[in-house]
Amino acid sequence: MTTRPLQKILYVEDDEDIQRIVRLSLERIGKFTVEVESDPLAAIEHMRAYQPDLVMLDWMMPGMDGPTLFRKMKESPDTNAYPVVFITAKASSRELDELTALGAVGTISKPFSPKDLPGQLRAVWEKIPD
Amino acid sequence: MNADTPASALDTTPSPPAATPDVDRADPKAVLADRVEQLYGQMWLGVVATFAIGTIATYELWDRRMQDLVSFWWGLVALLTITSAALILAYQRSPTRAADAAQWLRWLAIAALANGANWGFAGSVFFPSHTDEQQIFLAFLLSGMAAGGISIYAGSWRIFAMYAAGILAPFTYVLATFGNRLFIEVALMVPVFYAVTVAIAYRLEMVFHAGYQLRHAYGRLTADYSLLNARLERQLVELDDARRQVEASGRKLALFAESAPIPIFEFDPMGRVVTVNREAENLFGHVSKEVVGRDGTAFLFPSELTASVTDRWRSFIRDAKPVMGLRFHNVRRDGSEIVCEWSLTPLVGNDGKVISVIIQGNDITQQLEVERMKKEFMSTLSHELRTPLTSIIGSLQLVNSGVLGDVTSDVTDLTTIAERNGERLLDMINDILDIEKIESGKFTMVPEVVSIDALVREGIALNQAFAERHNTHLETTGEILPVKVHVDRKRLLQVLTNLLSNAAKFSPEGKPVEVAVKAADGRVRVEVHDRGPGIPESFRSRIFSRFSQADSTTARQKGGTGLGLAICKHMIEMMQGEIGFDERPGGGTTFWFQLPRHTD
Repeated sequence: MTTRPLQKILYVEDDEDIQRIVRLSLERIGKFTVEVESDPLAAIEHMRAYQPDLVMLDWMMPGMDGPTLFRKMKESPDTNAYPVVFITAKASSRELDELTALGAVGTISKPFSPKDLPGQLRAVWEKIPD
Repeated sequence: MNADTPASALDTTPSPPAATPDVDRADPKAVLADRVEQLYGQMWLGVVATFAIGTIATYELWDRRMQDLVSFWWGLVALLTITSAALILAYQRSPTRAADAAQWLRWLAIAALANGANWGFAGSVFFPSHTDEQQIFLAFLLSGMAAGGISIYAGSWRIFAMYAAGILAPFTYVLATFGNRLFIEVALMVPVFYAVTVAIAYRLEMVFHAGYQLRHAYGRLTADYSLLNARLERQLVELDDARRQVEASGRKLALFAESAPIPIFEFDPMGRVVTVNREAENLFGHVSKEVVGRDGTAFLFPSELTASVTDRWRSFIRDAKPVMGLRFHNVRRDGSEIVCEWSLTPLVGNDGKVISVIIQGNDITQQLEVERMKKEFMSTLSHELRTPLTSIIGSLQLVNSGVLGDVTSDVTDLTTIAERNGERLLDMINDILDIEKIESGKFTMVPEVVSIDALVREGIALNQAFAERHNTHLETTGEILPVKVHVDRKRLLQVLTNLLSNAAKFSPEGKPVEVAVKAADGRVRVEVHDRGPGIPESFRSRIFSRFSQADSTTARQKGGTGLGLAICKHMIEMMQGEIGFDERPGGGTTFWFQLPRHTD
């Protein structure tokens, strides 16, 4: 159980509509501090600058998909420790299992409920071991 | 030997010294008929000789003193000649002479005795009254006649004995009573001469008899042999017929294979091509005569597969069992690659070894491409439809949650309607994706141990709002048992949601939907009771089929794709359970599913 509360979240997502909904949900309902990155290729740099508590990654993005970005994060010593939650429209449980196998701390499937999203993230956060 | 048919003492012939089993095969009646035939055949010679010698003797013995007696004797010779000739002719003309052989033998015996007696009469009457020279002539004549009879009557020693006795007995008597010592001595020698000639005749008969027996035995053998030959010939004909039939069915099979609309090869156990049908020629581009005798792996497979295909071929020949649905990349004559699904059927001999292998191939390249495109389409559908729905439903939820500030109640009403319909659309997309996964066999389960009471309460909580919108509410009835089941939690919740929302949709206003949990016989049963209109009789049998709804009016009024229950049935069956419904006493329907209890 992590005792430190979840505060800073970085969300990597190319769809601006969803960016906006997630940001509203997390800021208004969850009261988190949220930054959003549209370009997966710039995401690593953004993480180094922002130093978030948790990273949310979209699966399907132009330029680089979520899992590839996640592997790149794992290769770099200053980004490999960030807990990652995937947010994906991929429906099958096999694909969700694959993400967990990659080392993701959680998966949230699209369409998610903006009302429930902050609660879901907190639940994932609390399960991360120190 | 012929003891069973002794027509008279005359046909009882002496047994040959050593009868071989083959000789036993001769028919005794046929042997007798042959002997009689031989006797009559030689009689002409005897008749002619008797007449000629009798006439010469008459001339030699002519004497004025005994003119009448000699003439009378010659008359007897002539009479016997005529009678004998008549007998021979009668015999030769008789159509039943073989069957009546014993009777003809008796007639012959009478003729022979009369003939012998006539010569004996000549000896006894003329010997005493004639000169010394004439006596010598007579003695010579009589012994000659007796000796000559051996050859004529060789077929029956008894007839010869009677004939010779007729000649020699009176003559011996005359010699013995003549009063001359020399003649008495000759008279003593005549019986010895008689005995010797009869003995010779006996031997001759035996030889003839054995000869005829052999002839008949041989005849029987020949008949048997011909019979055997005929049977062999018949069998050969039958074999030939059978061969033709086999050839015909072989041709039929070949014709069938040749014109079959699927590629067919026949390989020998070494993997060499024996035959190729037209469809296989068309698919792979090789003409039959180019590939017959060649190693199939050498031209049907890309070179990198040759080794593994050869290994599989060897183990297939070893097992000699049919194999179906083998997928391989294959190469055509022009170098292009296709994917084929192969079925191999070994033709196995009585010794369990493979004689040849019938191979059917099916080009599934296009089918695979279609499958790939379908999968890609489904993936696109999944992503491209859900992403905008995420934005729509998400936005509406944020508005409806009130975190963005107060809006007028009309706005809230409309955004609530929009959100609800967005979710309906999402449910339908999810149903279609589920059915697609079920059909393509990609529907998977993630089983875990779940307590059924928690699941039922969660299901009720999730669907209470939906029920309230339909002016009803969900409640439990009886004790909700904390029974454990081993299931995919999300999927079971999906089933429960489906049953609860259906019940809520069809429940009349104010009548609650009741959920009960029962456990028995190692199974747990979850029941959802409603007081709805019930399931129409005509719809009951296909309620769990895809795209089924009681009528299209219902679909418009109540929504849904008609896939929900089909998906539920599939999911419950994947969890080793059953799903069904019963009419509820007092109106309404009970939908239920039951699952095996989990035991630690």
